[in-house]
Amino acid sequence: MSGTAWWARAYDVALRAFPAHFRARWGDEMRLTLADRVAAARDRDGRLPLRLVARELASALAGGARERLHERLRHPATRPPMPRLQDVRYALRLLLRSPGFTLLTVLVLAGGIGLSTFTFSFLYTAMLRPVPLDEGARIVRVDPVVDGRLTGTDLADVAALAASVRSVRQLGAFTGRALVVGRDGDRRAIDGTVADPVLFAVARTPALLGRPLVPADAEPGAEPVLVLSYRIWQAAFGGDPGVVGRRVPLNGAETRVVGVMPEGFGFPVASEAWLPLPADAPGRATAGLASVRLVGRLAPGASHATAAAEVATVLRRAQAARDTSARAGVVDAAVETLPSAQIGEERALVFALLNLVAGLILLLALVNVTNLLLARADERVRETAVRLALGATAGRLVVQGMWETVLLCLAGGVVGTAGAAWGLEGITRWTQANIPDNLAFWWVWRLDHVTLLGAGAFVTVAIASLGAVAALRTRRLDVRAAMQDGGARGGARRAGRLSRALVAVQVTTVTVLMFFGVMAGVVAHRVVTIDPGFDPARLLQGGVLPPDARYPTAAARAGLYRDVRARVAEQGALGDVLLRRPLGEARTARGRLARRGAARTPELLPTAHVEASLGDLRTIGVEVLEGRALGAADDASRAPVAVVSRALARRHWGGRSPVGEQLRLAGAGAGDTATYRTVVGVVSDVPHGNPLARDRSADAIYVPLLQGDHDYAAVLARWRTTETAARLAMVQAFGAADPLLVPDGVQPFAESLRKMGLIAVSVTRLFTACFAFALVLALVGTYGLMSRAIGARTREIGLRRALGATDGRVARLILLQGGRQLVVGTLLAAPALGALGLLLRHYVPVSATLTVAAAVLVSASIVGLVLAASWVPTRRALRLTPRDALWTG
Amino acid sequence: MRPIEFEILLSLAGGARHGYAIILDIEARAGDGATLETGTLYRALQRLAEQGHVTEARTPPGEDDRRRYHAITPAGRAAAAAEARRMAALVDGARAARLLPEAP
Repeated sequence: MSGTAWWARAYDVALRAFPAHFRARWGDEMRLTLADRVAAARDRDGRLPLRLVARELASALAGGARERLHERLRHPATRPPMPRLQDVRYALRLLLRSPGFTLLTVLVLAGGIGLSTFTFSFLYTAMLRPVPLDEGARIVRVDPVVDGRLTGTDLADVAALAASVRSVRQLGAFTGRALVVGRDGDRRAIDGTVADPVLFAVARTPALLGRPLVPADAEPGAEPVLVLSYRIWQAAFGGDPGVVGRRVPLNGAETRVVGVMPEGFGFPVASEAWLPLPADAPGRATAGLASVRLVGRLAPGASHATAAAEVATVLRRAQAARDTSARAGVVDAAVETLPSAQIGEERALVFALLNLVAGLILLLALVNVTNLLLARADERVRETAVRLALGATAGRLVVQGMWETVLLCLAGGVVGTAGAAWGLEGITRWTQANIPDNLAFWWVWRLDHVTLLGAGAFVTVAIASLGAVAALRTRRLDVRAAMQDGGARGGARRAGRLSRALVAVQVTTVTVLMFFGVMAGVVAHRVVTIDPGFDPARLLQGGVLPPDARYPTAAARAGLYRDVRARVAEQGALGDVLLRRPLGEARTARGRLARRGAARTPELLPTAHVEASLGDLRTIGVEVLEGRALGAADDASRAPVAVVSRALARRHWGGRSPVGEQLRLAGAGAGDTATYRTVVGVVSDVPHGNPLARDRSADAIYVPLLQGDHDYAAVLARWRTTETAARLAMVQAFGAADPLLVPDGVQPFAESLRKMGLIAVSVTRLFTACFAFALVLALVGTYGLMSRAIGARTREIGLRRALGATDGRVARLILLQGGRQLVVGTLLAAPALGALGLLLRHYVPVSATLTVAAAVLVSASIVGLVLAASWVPTRRALRLTPRDALWTG
Repeated sequence: MRPIEFEILLSLAGGARHGYAIILDIEARAGDGATLETGTLYRALQRLAEQGHVTEARTPPGEDDRRRYHAITPAGRAAAAAEARRMAALVDGARAARLLPEAP
């Protein structure tokens, strides 16, 4: 006979649904009866009775399940045995008897559980945890979304929003402001927040001393007041409780300190002091000039989605009421909790990807521990068989084995959680030391109930998966075979199958992890080596923030910028002075960026980066190629002009010179947005846009800073001698322009680039450590698994060699076996790599070639590593003589 | 007693049979199209054996010795008879209620 018929094999499988003793009593006869029925039907009909076979299979499966259930009810003794204290003691004794195994297993588990717990807790605190204020989950940030991108809210829209939006209550605006406290020689620059006093009602946090801001403080004619943060109260006022009620010079105006907020308070953003945003400021604001952020409390019954829809409606109405050339584009809105809004639009991706990485590392750890447990079970197979033969039930042995797993997982969980807590506290210390200015006040990572819950969940997963494998193994132990040859064959075939499956899972997991690691490394490299598009060496940067009180008009502000530039240029320590104000990207949508052509309708220009500047553009590597540069004489009294980059000129004007052409910059925050500007020059290209973004371009338009109204300008100047001298010179130049003015955030330009990438680099370093741990786990694990799989075949190898097989043939046989798992693992990983690559390319600037190359390289490396891991135990097996192999197998 | 158990006892009342023969007998008695699955038969045999109504019989000489023959025990015969009486009483009741025609 060529073999058993398929239906008979299927019936054999279906019979496994019946309890073992039932099969032992009736199984053979049932097979025989079915064979009789099939033969009779075949004789009668001349073909295989498929319906009969299907019915019999279904009946066997259902009947088997019912028989098992029936048996449970009839014989309560076969219910799972209850845990006993003596089992725990027994398991503990066994673990203590092999300290090496116990220590290794606990460490591997601690690594997997600790990393998963750390990642989960870190991300939860960073992105999901409600802010630690009364009903913090209902506090939301409201942001307009223009053309799919989150933007600040136009101050001119705030009044309409506050009056009309019902789904967000106590909606208040705030914005950052550099402040100068003190007078003459005792001045100090601090980072302040100008906030609608209603935000203190949103925070529901009482002041430590005095009171917070109240709506009366923002009324026209109210006395200027100030609320201090705990940090600045300690640093600038020595923690003096008498500071409340005192008048201090603030930006030159006497301002009364009315309160000090408690330590750690930084709502809505970290700040050193709070000033009231004048109640009439939104009403007086010019559209397109000042941008603020909005925070409020979600009204009862309102959801984020309904609130966003309502805000979008109000915003669209406000936009429609204004000059259409000033603002256009598709306006929408986002209403998010503060932590979500802080992380930005990629939060879902970040949360999912990083948790996936942590999950994969836990999976790797579990695969390794499974292998360790299987190896240990192999060693004890004879003992287990003896106990089974002496009458111990499989359930009893499973429960005892389970206790061993539980104890190991609990120990791993405790050590891992302690490690995670240590890491979380380290992160808190690091962020407070390195990025205090940008730190959200809710970013305090520590061991809390969420971390413990996460750790508990990971420990449970570990116990469940490891316990299931161990139980399966004990239940399937072939007592007779185990007793006969001491475990060489007792369940070895099945265990071998399990080991091979584990190798495939391991190959898949480690391939995906390493690919992710390599791509993270590529992105981190890009972040570290940010290309600003010009040489940032010896470049000092500071900010000019004209105080509203003394520079209330566009002309006054322009005068200050002109003066600051002149004073900085006078300093011997500084050269190549440039004041710049990036105005973002002007896109072609709805004619916001247009060229006046011969036809009546303006022609649309491609997307371009727009920047207002005053001074020498060569400071940022931009040279004049044609026409003239922008000069200090290009002010509001002259005809509006612009210079364009060569890339933009080529793209739009082709071979012709754009000099003399006219273009319009509506919507780019450039002040008089409806006016056409004459192109007076063409300049060289430098990349613009967010240095970390993938869509950088050299298409640029530069307009004179003095021909628009700007609330801020950055000063760039190259130092000639030392950085210290340059810093001093910049402070002196500002003081010469206005004795009450200090430069905002003075630092080398390269330092600002470094800070830009600091968080990304640090997070990447952290995860590099995780990947290194994963790689070590994978290597050791694969070696262990292959070693075990080959060890199980030692007797077979000996037999083959005794029968004349050459070493080469045997080695090929073994490596081919490893190769099959490699192929399966790599094939399983391929779709994951594809999906991950596409996802990463969507968010970070990496090319398709690089992504594919990384995937191929990682897969090839893993293949190499696994083959290497197979080779060592193969050689060991080949070194044994056939006699030894047969003896030790 | 379940109908399938009564059917098996009825089948074995005529002599020891193996599983396939029991199925053929029951299907023949039940009429055209009625089927009994192998799994159902052996689950019922298991119950009857546990109750002591059925026991294993010696395989008749000349038969396939892989086959196991099942025979009814005296207890099984008594239980089947009791069940038959109960059923007969039910049939009498049905006749009295004119659900069935009078016996000829």
